[in-house]
Amino acid sequence: MNKELSLRQIAYMYVFISISPILRQIPRALAAAAGRSAYISPLWSAVAILPITAIIIGLLKAFPGLNIYDIMIQVLGSFLTKIILFGYLLWFLLSITAKISIYAQTLQFTLMPQTRTNFFFITLIVLVAYALLRGIKTVFRFSEFTLGTILVIFAILFICGISRIRKDYLLPVSTIHLMDTIRASVSVITVGGNIVLVLFFADKLGISTTKKEKRKLWYGAFIFLILCFLVTLVTIGITGAALTANLPFPLYITVKSVSFFNIFERFEVIVTLICVLSDFIAICIFMIVIIRCFEWMFDLKQKGFLYAPLAMIIFYLTYYISKTQFEFDFLYQNVIIYINLVFQYLIPVLVGLLSLFRMKKIKKQF
Amino acid sequence: MIYIFGISLIYTMIKKKDQLLGANRNLILFLLLSIIGLTLGIIYIINPYLPSIAAMLEKHMK
Repeated sequence: MNKELSLRQIAYMYVFISISPILRQIPRALAAAAGRSAYISPLWSAVAILPITAIIIGLLKAFPGLNIYDIMIQVLGSFLTKIILFGYLLWFLLSITAKISIYAQTLQFTLMPQTRTNFFFITLIVLVAYALLRGIKTVFRFSEFTLGTILVIFAILFICGISRIRKDYLLPVSTIHLMDTIRASVSVITVGGNIVLVLFFADKLGISTTKKEKRKLWYGAFIFLILCFLVTLVTIGITGAALTANLPFPLYITVKSVSFFNIFERFEVIVTLICVLSDFIAICIFMIVIIRCFEWMFDLKQKGFLYAPLAMIIFYLTYYISKTQFEFDFLYQNVIIYINLVFQYLIPVLVGLLSLFRMKKIKKQF
Repeated sequence: MIYIFGISLIYTMIKKKDQLLGANRNLILFLLLSIIGLTLGIIYIINPYLPSIAAMLEKHMK
């Protein structure tokens, strides 16, 4: 079997597409739900993210060279699989439209406040079409090569931001806040659950994945958790929980006060660019997965004709899903988070459990 | 924008003619998706101020 992608590339892609929600949504959601103790929430989220990573690695071990569709066919049968796949398709359509909305809103809030959303959507369609023309590998390679640089930039930012952190914004934290921090961790869990995307590309990994490669997935999960913790800590420590909870992009405001030994300033532009790049890769990945879902659902041999009508549907659907920042926030907090939990955790856990029970029966077939 | 999408649909139809006519499933799926896309576009052109799904949910959930 041809090994088109490596688990390392997929793990890096997972961290890369998680960056924009970590910078934009997580500090704000955590501060609103848990106040000054919000930076503890990413630690709680490890309780959900690490087990789902273990389940995914377990599924990769049990079904080498099979993607989520093949695994579900083996475990659930064809009919149930197609229904669940249709659910995944709708979820990815919702996710991609939400990503496009927030991508346009980020650019409007930061660098281009006068520009109409139409312009962002059109340029995005052109860029995504160009990236997809080059193939899946290009998208994964881009995130693989860029992630290292981005992590170095974050390391510099955090080091420069340490002197600005105010202790009274972070302490005291007592056991009274425990429940709030646990409840708030849902916002982190729902982003960390994107690791389920590994299963959608598992057939590209080839039959054998080494222990070293599987360890990369664990590294990805740990980098995600550490990044979440540090970004929340720095944002709340510098800006304060009350302000963080009410800003649309708190880290953007936070890094305005950070400078590198008074030599380099205005890191907010870099943060915005990182966010935009992360959103762009996320949109490319979601588009690839949507096309794959269509291929699996309808047993398609060719897929080239799907791009134009799908681009049109997604473009107009973006207007129908949410139009303003307030609407998007409402949708994200009340709908998207809970739908994410179903598709990122509930279904993979069910598939994992059922595969355990039916493993003997499945092995007999081969 | 709907004109650009319309042109891109016609271009896809011409360029991917072999794929579309090669299997009925491909043609039906292409037509179905195109009709959904065009319907969404036409509704948006007729009434661009239609409340979004998020706005409707907000209204009902509050």
